[in-house]
Amino acid sequence: MLGQVLFSGLALGSIYGLVALGFVVILKATDVFNFAQGMFVVCGAYLAVTALSLLGLPFPLAILFIILGAALMGMGVHAALIRPLSGRPILSIIMVTIALSIVMRAGIEILYGPAGRTLSTPLPSGGFLFAGLRISQLHMTAAAVSWLCMLAFGLFFRFTSVGLLMRAAADSHEAATIAGVKVDAMNRLAWAIGFTLAAIGGLFLGQLQIVSTELETIGLLALPAVVIGGMQSIPGAILGGLLVGVIEQLASTYISPKSADVMIYALLLVILLVRPWGLLGQKAINRV
Amino acid sequence: MMTLTSKTFRVRISAYRALLIAAPIIACLGSAPALAQNTPQDGVHADRVDWGVLMDLSGPTSASQSIWVAGLQDRIRMVNEAGGVYGRRINILAEDNRFNAATDRIAFEKLVSQTPVIAISGMGTSASQVALSPTIRAGKVPIVGTYTSTKALSEPVSPMVYNGFCGYKEMAAAGVGHYVDKLGLKAPKVATVAIESAGGKEYHDFIAEAVAKRGGTAHHITMKVTAVDVTPQALELMALKPDFITIYGVPNTAILTMKALQQYGVKIPAFGITYLGAPQIFTAMGPEAGANYTFASCFTPGGSDTLPGNVEMMTFAEKVGRTAIREDINYVAGWVAGQMISEALQRAGREATRAKLVESLSKGFTIDTKGLSAPIVYTPQNNTGPVLFRMFGYDHATKKFTAFGEYADSARYVQ
Repeated sequence: MLGQVLFSGLALGSIYGLVALGFVVILKATDVFNFAQGMFVVCGAYLAVTALSLLGLPFPLAILFIILGAALMGMGVHAALIRPLSGRPILSIIMVTIALSIVMRAGIEILYGPAGRTLSTPLPSGGFLFAGLRISQLHMTAAAVSWLCMLAFGLFFRFTSVGLLMRAAADSHEAATIAGVKVDAMNRLAWAIGFTLAAIGGLFLGQLQIVSTELETIGLLALPAVVIGGMQSIPGAILGGLLVGVIEQLASTYISPKSADVMIYALLLVILLVRPWGLLGQKAINRV
Repeated sequence: MMTLTSKTFRVRISAYRALLIAAPIIACLGSAPALAQNTPQDGVHADRVDWGVLMDLSGPTSASQSIWVAGLQDRIRMVNEAGGVYGRRINILAEDNRFNAATDRIAFEKLVSQTPVIAISGMGTSASQVALSPTIRAGKVPIVGTYTSTKALSEPVSPMVYNGFCGYKEMAAAGVGHYVDKLGLKAPKVATVAIESAGGKEYHDFIAEAVAKRGGTAHHITMKVTAVDVTPQALELMALKPDFITIYGVPNTAILTMKALQQYGVKIPAFGITYLGAPQIFTAMGPEAGANYTFASCFTPGGSDTLPGNVEMMTFAEKVGRTAIREDINYVAGWVAGQMISEALQRAGREATRAKLVESLSKGFTIDTKGLSAPIVYTPQNNTGPVLFRMFGYDHATKKFTAFGEYADSARYVQ
């Protein structure tokens, strides 16, 4: 039973990790604590509904539609809301992301109606036995795709020139600007990546659940994952996501479903008290 | 010849000023009867009657409640197109309480004291019902056609409250009775899978009561309303091996439970509460998992038979562009609530007031839904509303709901 619960926790945590990764990319690049990340997940799910159910696109084309749509929306959010507020107090920008999530929720409910939608994809939905564990093919696929995305973006940041420029811009806007890096373009790219990762998470969450604006609540579980893993750490976001998924399943099994939130946020509190920079984050050292 | 001194000039100016101030007041007083006619105390105007609706039009339960409101509005639209009631059209004023009891209270006071309305329907948030129960019971504005029924508002019976949705107690009795007889069980072992809420606990208690009457036992398994993976609950069900399952919660509760059981290769029959009777729930489950799932309902889903009530509703829904939601059980319930409203206003008479409405309803009345439900009977001693149930499944091939038995069959279980 423990093995089964751990597997489902890791699969679920992989999706949380993917959404959290998008959150960290935005935070690292633009210093914006994006409270709209949960709605980005919802947008991804509705992009999938649009592509598959409304437009009837073949699955590979639908995936392309989701990725391009999410990337464009991410760049649009940056251009319309974040860039004009550059240099403003952080509280103003946070308020903008909160307002953005409210507007997006209302917009989606107006456009698609309040009723939940079913997302049918050709992704496998059965199960099989492996080493005594019942493996859900959909969970397995979600975890595998999440890991692939995380690996791809990890390699992108580490080994490509654009990734290097993005890291440079994230480390110090001023230094990167002096060195000739187009910081604004890098930030725009970060928002596109952040939105796209959340949208891929939304595709899977929409398939596991039904597509509705309530997916936002699940998407927002990326926030504790990020704080636990380390706000500025990409591997930390992944670890945080996995921890949140595993804790949620273990608490639901051995205590009660409601205790899952208690356990997750209790860990978050402990981390903030003992190691505020997160499990894999780096302690900020300021020159006096 | 009178000379204009500075003193008389000041007096005249004062007089003109007084006249300037008094004129609008006099004008207002003169038109007072007209104003009174435009804002009558009970929401009854010369050409319309204002009727309030309090529901979650946004928030976690809006997906089902807004469909109920759409059904109600469409029924009223049909009544208005046919000339309204006594020549007055019914004007539905829907307030969004956003799944928040505090917002509900403000909206309730607004509809009662400021708008005002003759009566209110909906009240879909159980917490609001409990909080407002003393005010409603002691007040003058009746609640006609509730979306959910709480003990606080329903018991003891009050002339101010008329339930309009399937009650959990009867739902539990009908569902348990149906499955115990169908499966030929002697001492049934039943599991309630419910979201963690007061309503879930209350529903499980009704299930436990119904199961105990049949000499069986009931187990309560909970899950989060926002659950994504229900492996723990599926494992618990597999260990428990119940004869059948009953599900309380949001669409996701039913979908995840049935899909998880399918994934583990477990085929346990299950029935959901009425609210979990939407086509998209069955579609999301898929044919294999959905084959083991039914729901207990006091209303007939749209398109599942050709009785006059169903045909009338389906035709009008198509006319007004509601084809996407007309099969949803919440749409049907809203449609029937709309019928309750128009018939209640008929009973209140040509010169309807709140008092006349309450007086006419408190004597008892019956709503004949022409097959959309069993006749809904209200008596001075019982305002429970719909009490007879049927079980419904879904045929994925034809994309239609299928009924098991008749409403009358459940009479032996619920009485």
